[in-house]
Amino acid sequence: MQNLLDDYAQSNALRDTSPRLKLLLGLGAILLCVSSVTPIAPLFIAVTMSLVTIGLAKIPWRFYSKLLLIPLSFSLLSALVVAFMHGGGDQLIAFSVFGFNLSINEDGANLALLLITRTFGGMCSLFFIALTTPMIEIFSVLKSLGLPDFLIELSMLMYRYIFVFVDQAALIHSAQVMRLGDAGIKKSINSFAMLSSVLFLRAWEQGERLIVAMDARCYDGKLDLMERSGKAGPKAIFVVITYMIVVAAIAVLTRDVQLF
Amino acid sequence: MTSILETRNVSYSYADGTKALKGVSISLEEGKKIALVGPNGAGKSTLMLMFNGILRPSAGEILFHGRTLQYDSTSLREIRRKVGMVFQNPDDQLFAPTVYQDVAFGPINLGFPPEKVERYVSYALSYVGLCGYERRPPHHLSGGEKKRVAIAGILAMEPEVIILDEPTSNLDPASSEEIMEMLDELNLGGKTMIISTHDVDLAYRWADEMLLMENGQLLHQGEPSSIFTNQELVTRARMKLPLVLEIYKELVCRGVLNGSSPPKSVLELTDILEANGKDNGKDNAKRDGLGKIYVCDVEHSDLARIKAFVNGKNVDHVGAMGTQAKMMASSEKMVLDFTYGVIDKCILKALNGQSALILTSGGMVAHALCRIRDYGKESGSIIEAVPLA
Repeated sequence: MQNLLDDYAQSNALRDTSPRLKLLLGLGAILLCVSSVTPIAPLFIAVTMSLVTIGLAKIPWRFYSKLLLIPLSFSLLSALVVAFMHGGGDQLIAFSVFGFNLSINEDGANLALLLITRTFGGMCSLFFIALTTPMIEIFSVLKSLGLPDFLIELSMLMYRYIFVFVDQAALIHSAQVMRLGDAGIKKSINSFAMLSSVLFLRAWEQGERLIVAMDARCYDGKLDLMERSGKAGPKAIFVVITYMIVVAAIAVLTRDVQLF
Repeated sequence: MTSILETRNVSYSYADGTKALKGVSISLEEGKKIALVGPNGAGKSTLMLMFNGILRPSAGEILFHGRTLQYDSTSLREIRRKVGMVFQNPDDQLFAPTVYQDVAFGPINLGFPPEKVERYVSYALSYVGLCGYERRPPHHLSGGEKKRVAIAGILAMEPEVIILDEPTSNLDPASSEEIMEMLDELNLGGKTMIISTHDVDLAYRWADEMLLMENGQLLHQGEPSSIFTNQELVTRARMKLPLVLEIYKELVCRGVLNGSSPPKSVLELTDILEANGKDNGKDNAKRDGLGKIYVCDVEHSDLARIKAFVNGKNVDHVGAMGTQAKMMASSEKMVLDFTYGVIDKCILKALNGQSALILTSGGMVAHALCRIRDYGKESGSIIEAVPLA
């Protein structure tokens, strides 16, 4: 379960498309999302990005919708609070709870809607990147953008060992649960503390073994990135840029549209 | 035979004062298959880490090709290139985020130009049968695949000696047989192989020479057959007898066999039993003549013809030896009956009057033909070995 996102990034239908183009599309869409002042452009992005992720990258829609549900539930909750907090404009709904008068005004409703659609559009764009582009290709893009080698090498090693330690943590956790380490809050906290300390020690030891393993293979300060990822064709670049222009145009043209 | 690795009175103590090695002197010959056996904590891993200069002995010296090992960085690079080491846990060894990067790690650090790196990596990956895995991350591989990548990472540096710490631990039986067969293939290609293992069946069958370690010292160095017939050595090294030998020993105790020639394999044991039956006048072996064994070099023959040959029911069983042959068989969608211990299994089938085809490549073709002919000379049951082109 824990590396499902990574699994899809490795095996989706857009795996071999240029990572630069995918990053450009994803990040561009996020920027347009957060700079749009009305909900229409973010909504358009959310729908189109989801279509691309499900239709072109062939991510199962069931998995995709479950994944979206997590941030969506958060944004719904916060939007609800925002709707009540903001005054201004005509009153839409008003009621009282235990003597407190609560009301939603026009400004509040518009802001809440904007908040939801921005989060939604942003998440769809982010998931597009996460589900179609493996980490390693993001590293190679970062390298070509001039990030120092040591930072990239460190992140690569970290990325590699995340999975080793996730497995170890899961094993330690099972070992604790098997001996009822999760019976009661106090015991759970205690078990968690033990898990963390053991994991820290294991990480340390793994680090020492890593040095030995690298030395055994003549480590000389070089960890290569293989940059053999697909190059973007002119057609794909044209499509992405056209898409960005369309979204930007929608954002500009609908800047005065208010739903309430 | 010349000695490729030698230790002279090597001792080593860890930082806390524990003595891991106490004056070990051994000499390993070039081109051999050597198994290091001994109880946990006997110093096997410490000794292995000495061979490529990861650990430096507190006393004594290591010699590679007769020259004392120096510990300056140039000499260390040289020895680590020539003596490759595969760790027990592949997660320790595979630290790069993709298979390609991991295998390329050694060649890049040796300063090879990019096209040479690429050539070496693709050679190593095809040798272990993992072409097309370049962009996979290690956590998406099975245990056997991880082991193969670890071996490829070492092969890409063109070592003369390959050391493997418990190569079959945590692998399913078929994967471990395949790994062991790959080690045989590498050995046929001229590489000296050193493994540490607790698996006595494996050590008995695979090794040319065994080193028994006990308590930081060398207990014995010799051929597996001499070691396993010495009960005291077996007990002191905390081993047990290989199953074939144990059955043989009990049969000798019961007076069924006379105990003059301990068998190395299931094939040899069945032969001894059959010969014994004949001597007692009970020739109950049903033989409708012997089967033929065809040996085919997949690199120099027409695949379509082989397929037609197999589909035409010319053979009862098909086995593949070596990665090349297995890859060919899977790409041609041929069903394989044997993927490990192929020669012995085919001989067993031929003795039952069935015919078999061995798909293989390179030096293993001659090896297979030779092995079948030698078997005929030794046992008197001459099986026809036919090279198929």
